[in-house]
Amino acid sequence: MVKKVQALVIGAGPAGLCGSIAMAESGVEVLVVDEGIKPGGQLPKQTHKFFGHEGFFASIRGFEIGDKLYKRAIDLKVKFKMKTTVSGIYEDGIVLYDRDKEEAYDIKADFILIATGASERFISFKKNYLPGVYGAGAVQTLMNQYRVLPGKDFLIVGAGNIGLIVAYQLLQAGANVKAIVEASDKVGGYLVHANKVKKMGVPILLRHTIVEAIGEDKVRGAVISEVDEKFRPIKGTEKELVVDNICLAVGLQPSVELAAQARAKIEYIPELGGYVPYRDENMKTSVDNVYIAGDIASIEEASTAMIEGYIAGYNIAQKVTGKDLSEKIEKMKIELEEFRRGPFSLKVRRGLKKFGINYPEGGYRTEQQKDDGPAGKLRVKIECPQNIPCNPCETSCPTGAISVGGNINGIPHVNYDKCIGCGVCVMKCPGLAIFLIQEQEKHSIVGIPYEFELPEAQERVLLLNKNGEIVGEGEVEKVVKNNKGKTHIVFLKIPKGLENEVRHFSKIKLEDDEIVCRCEEITKSQIEEAINEGFTDFEELRRYLRISMGPCGGRVCRLQTLSIISMKTGIPISELESGRFRPPSIPISFKAIIRGDEKDEI
Amino acid sequence: MPRRVAKHPILGDLEETNEIEFEFEGQKLKAFKGDTIASALIDNGLDIFGFTDSGKPRGFFCAIGKCSSCLVIVNGVPNIRACITLVEDGMKVERQKGKGNPVW
Repeated sequence: MVKKVQALVIGAGPAGLCGSIAMAESGVEVLVVDEGIKPGGQLPKQTHKFFGHEGFFASIRGFEIGDKLYKRAIDLKVKFKMKTTVSGIYEDGIVLYDRDKEEAYDIKADFILIATGASERFISFKKNYLPGVYGAGAVQTLMNQYRVLPGKDFLIVGAGNIGLIVAYQLLQAGANVKAIVEASDKVGGYLVHANKVKKMGVPILLRHTIVEAIGEDKVRGAVISEVDEKFRPIKGTEKELVVDNICLAVGLQPSVELAAQARAKIEYIPELGGYVPYRDENMKTSVDNVYIAGDIASIEEASTAMIEGYIAGYNIAQKVTGKDLSEKIEKMKIELEEFRRGPFSLKVRRGLKKFGINYPEGGYRTEQQKDDGPAGKLRVKIECPQNIPCNPCETSCPTGAISVGGNINGIPHVNYDKCIGCGVCVMKCPGLAIFLIQEQEKHSIVGIPYEFELPEAQERVLLLNKNGEIVGEGEVEKVVKNNKGKTHIVFLKIPKGLENEVRHFSKIKLEDDEIVCRCEEITKSQIEEAINEGFTDFEELRRYLRISMGPCGGRVCRLQTLSIISMKTGIPISELESGRFRPPSIPISFKAIIRGDEKDEI
Repeated sequence: MPRRVAKHPILGDLEETNEIEFEFEGQKLKAFKGDTIASALIDNGLDIFGFTDSGKPRGFFCAIGKCSSCLVIVNGVPNIRACITLVEDGMKVERQKGKGNPVW
């Protein structure tokens, strides 16, 4: 017997789940089918905090959002069939294939919501078939859901949000990211995502692409090269990287197959991700009882996928139940309009215009805040210079000191009279773009949002700037743990004047075999120890350690020693005493001096 | 379990789960309950899941059942997607060559 449901939702990701919630809470009987093992679509592999506003789970990590939505749907008695593929949509029915039972059977549905998401794009380069070439999302699934790292050293192709996020998550899982290559001349993703990996020393190589994977049986390396303005590799600029994994983060394409089978009109709209089903502003396709939501409709964010799911769900529910749900639908449409006003929605706005759907742009604050607040006060410094749809800084601040100025795409500003330096926003900000600073008498304090293995208080650390360059040495003052949200704050004591420089730190590795003075075999750690004891002048160190007293006369070690002093004390080399340059410049035997003295002529 | 992420700053320590044993190309391997065939193979350092018709090595690509690059033979049945099929105790997995000669 052919089973029948009022509404079938295909895909249990953010769009499908929200659609099913909207329908079920309005009294519609809903069945959700999904190929995957766990509901949530791509949410279970997302370990980062989401952007947006708290109504759509901003500041909550993706995997937790998936759990929350699934639980809500289950509470509303939505039925789920996981590990089940819709193998075809025909005029007289829909064929579901249950993988576990190895059964294919027909069902009928009054309405279908297709929320099949997207798949990763693949690009051409030599040997791109080798095992070890993965979609960036595949690596995320492996490391975050199944807790397996497919390698040690990664190259990431593409500096959009996915490439940047995966790079950061690889670092959190303990892998090395050798580089992110990006063919265009700018980072496509949010700057705050880029800053998270740049400050950890991951190079983002713009105008670069991959030209070849190296290896016979699997990836052993990669050849990258620069590209010209037409994105063609420039001969002679090739570089080899030793990597065992290549992650492609070169975009997504909507999974439209089932919508096409349901006879929805498909159009090629590059701004929306390629082939997409036509839909109206209620997410209805060209077929009356077929709706879509999420990445199948346009490649965008999970937050917009959720809103579209609600819009589609309420519209279907309205038709099934005859209830007037226009108020709820209108509310969601306003949400979507607010989100899509910013510059990162430009492509989606242009694409939807081709369907005759117009979204307004602008109406958000673009001015950057100029002042840093009163020196000496513990206060926040927000480094969020782009118009991105996100406002947890504003909504989490207990004193109302932060505002994005109305529309969610606005640049956040701080009212320093109200900021009490509590750090709540630092822990909440999904972009990890808020820092705490305070100038003190002898040194300064900077508080850094931190999502890695925590250092110990009083530990000496190397101070890094936003590009991952070492700018000095400091000490961990204290660590404020955030066991729930997992974004902790590490407070560092830093040299004065570096409050706006220091954005990350790394542990000091004492490597005993790092020789600085070759003649006298003096190691870096011996010099650092001597500086800690108080020998901060080159001549003092020379006398104490015999550094630069060997036959080379300091040619090899002088500058290195000075840079170590500079690093430890924060004093630039130009302001340090260079030490004397005594003769003889090379060792000469006494015999030679005596013999020379005995002669009268040159 | 050489490629496991045992500690993670966001996800916490890896929870103790039951180990199971499966076979790959006749070799006995260990996996965790809840692993897919793909994650179990990758954890065991095995990146080659099969070969194309022309003999090129094939790994997996998308991990979510969309690309069909990870097809393996499971208990004699070809064309099983390793990335969305849970590994089971005693399962026999083999590398697939080409389309796997499905039997009707």
